[in-house]
Amino acid sequence: MSLERWQQIPPGTQDLLPREAARVRATVDAVLAEMARWGYRELATPTLEYLDVLVRGDGGGAGDRLFKLIDRGGELLALRPEMTTPVARLVATRLRDAPLPLRLAYAGQVFRGREIGPGGLREFPQVGCELIGARTLEADAEIVALAVESLRAAGVRPFSLSLGHVGVLRAILAGLALPEEDAARVRALLYQKDFVGIRDVLDRRGAPARTVDALLALPTLRGSAALAHARRLVEATDSQDILRDLATLGEILDAYGVGDAVTVDLSIIRDFDYYTGIVFEGHTPSLGVPLLGGGRYDRLLERFGVAYPATGFAVRVERVLAASPQEDDRWAPDVVIAFADGARDDALACARALRQRDLVVTVEASGRPWDEVARRALEGGAGRAVLVRRAAAVVREAGGSEREIPLAGLLELGRAAREPR
Amino acid sequence: MSVVTVAVPSGRLLEGGMRTLEAAGYLTAGTWRSTRRLILPCADGAVRCLIAKPVDLLAYVEHGAADLGIAGKDMLLEQGRDVYELVDLGFGFCRGVLAVPAGAVETWERKSHLRIATKYPRITERYFWRRGRPVEIIGLNGTVELAPQVGLADGIVDVVMTGRTLRENRLVEVDEVFRSTARLVVNRVSLRSRAEPVAAVVEQLRLAAGAAGGASSRREGGVELR
Repeated sequence: MSLERWQQIPPGTQDLLPREAARVRATVDAVLAEMARWGYRELATPTLEYLDVLVRGDGGGAGDRLFKLIDRGGELLALRPEMTTPVARLVATRLRDAPLPLRLAYAGQVFRGREIGPGGLREFPQVGCELIGARTLEADAEIVALAVESLRAAGVRPFSLSLGHVGVLRAILAGLALPEEDAARVRALLYQKDFVGIRDVLDRRGAPARTVDALLALPTLRGSAALAHARRLVEATDSQDILRDLATLGEILDAYGVGDAVTVDLSIIRDFDYYTGIVFEGHTPSLGVPLLGGGRYDRLLERFGVAYPATGFAVRVERVLAASPQEDDRWAPDVVIAFADGARDDALACARALRQRDLVVTVEASGRPWDEVARRALEGGAGRAVLVRRAAAVVREAGGSEREIPLAGLLELGRAAREPR
Repeated sequence: MSVVTVAVPSGRLLEGGMRTLEAAGYLTAGTWRSTRRLILPCADGAVRCLIAKPVDLLAYVEHGAADLGIAGKDMLLEQGRDVYELVDLGFGFCRGVLAVPAGAVETWERKSHLRIATKYPRITERYFWRRGRPVEIIGLNGTVELAPQVGLADGIVDVVMTGRTLRENRLVEVDEVFRSTARLVVNRVSLRSRAEPVAAVVEQLRLAAGAAGGASSRREGGVELR
C-alpha cells in the first residue's frame, strides 16, 4: 500500500500528537523559565531571513545547509538554520544602543536544507540564550552554569557537560608551524574527527613524534589530567593563559554549584571558524548525540558592524525528550459535564467555575445520552462525570457510584483521586 | 549501562577485528568462529561485541548503539559519519581504484558522457568533481566488475586486494582513488559520558593493533582520499 501525497509530510519533518506536543512545550517552557530566572529575556525573530543575513552570520559554509526560497521580487530568502545569527542581526540593528551586557533567550523552530547527521531532521525546535557584550571568565562561567541548570530544568537525568577551548588545539597546531596547506588540511581533519588522518599529515611533515602522540591522546583525556597533559604540550604564553583560564573557570563553576556536572575535555570539536573561546556540549549516556552545544563567538557580531563579544548555547529539544523518560500517555479531563434540557446555562457556569479552579473540564458536545457520556468518560480515565439538571447535579464517580447533590456543592468537590498516571 | 559495546563488521574485516579483540584480551581465541550469535559477551564481562554488516556498522556507532566500532576507511570516506576516528588498526588494507575495460584505456577519458558503476557513489562523485569531470554514477551493491562487460557502465570504482578480479574481468586500473585499512571509531558521546571504560578499551585496542604490526602497514594505509 502506498500513501497518497496528501497523506504524507516532507522528509525530515514531524507531526506532534497532543502528548508529544505537550512534552515539547513543557520542556521549552521549563528551560525558558530557568533562563528568565537568570535575567535572560525571550525575544522572537522571523522564521524567514534574507539569505544574505544568514550567509554573513555563518560564513561560506552556510549555503548548502540552508532551506532557500525565492521572494516575489526575486530576493533570496532562507529559513533560519539556527537562532544565533538572527539574534546577532537584531542586536546589531534595533538593539544597537541597548546597555550591555544583553541577556537574551529564544525558542523556536529551525530548519536545514538537507537532512544531516543522526535523526535527519530538517525542522526541529531549539531553545537557547546569548550573553552579549561581556568578554570575561565570569560571562563564560555564567553561560556554562546556565547550560547545566537548563538541562536540569528540562528533566534530563543523568547528564554531563564537556568543556573545551578552541584555543588549545589551535595553539598546538600553531606550535607545529605547518605550512598553511597542511594546517588547513589538519583543521579539516579535526573537524571530521579523523585523528588517524591527522597523524598521517603530521608524520609526513616530520612533526616530533612526542607532540603527535600527545595531540592524539587528547580525545581520551578528561578533567585535570587533560589540563596537565595540555600544559606540557603547549609552550606559548597565551595558550598557557587559556589553560589557566580553564582551571579558573572550573573554580567559578564550583562556586556556582555545578562543578560536578562539568568536565574539561580539550577534544571538543565544534566549528573552528565560528567559535573563538570556550566550547561545550551536554551529554547523557543513553543518547549518542549531544543535547546542547555552545561556546564563545566573539567574531560574529562584528560581521554585523558591532564588535561585541558574545557567548551562548542552544538546546536540542527533541534530543532532550528522546533522553527523558516517557510518562504514561493516558490523558483525561478532571470533569466531564453533560446537561439536561434547559440546564445549559447552569452547566456552562459550572464548567467555567471549575476551570477557574484549574481543573480540566469538557462539556458534552455531541448530544449523547447521559449514561453513555458518563460511561465513556470514566472508562477513558476522567475523574468524574457530572449531569447538570435544573438546581441539582448527578455526580458519577470513577467507581460507578452515583449521587445527587445541589449545584452549589459541585464547586466543593475538588479534584477526584485518580489512579496514579 | 557499564558494558562497553564494540561493533565488528562481518565480511572482509571480521577475522582481523576478532583477532584484534583477542590480542587485547577481550575474546578467547577462536570462540567467535563456532557461534552464529550476533552479540558476544567478552572475557571480562566489561565488553561485549556486536557483529554488524559493514555498511551498517557506522550507523550503530554514530547513534551510540555501539560505543566503539571497527570500520574500513572506505566506509568512513563513503558515509562521512559523525564519529571519532582514533586508531589505524593496520589490517584490512585495500585500494580503491578506477578501472576501465582493457580496450578503453586509451580512449575512456575522451568520452563526453562517462558512466561509472560503484559501491562508493559519494567517493566517486567527489573524485570526479575535484577533477572537474562530469560523470554519471551508477550505484550498485555488488559484482560491480560486471557492469562494463554488459554495457551498464564505462568503468568502475571499486576496491582491489590482489587485482585478480580486475584481470579476470579484463579491467585495467587507470588511477588510484583511495587506500583503506581498518580504523577504530568511537561515538562522540560515549567518549565523554562513559569516558573511563571507553578510553580504557581504546588504549587496549591501540596497543593490540600496534603489537600486531599495525604500525608497519599504517604508513601505507593511512593515505586519505586523493
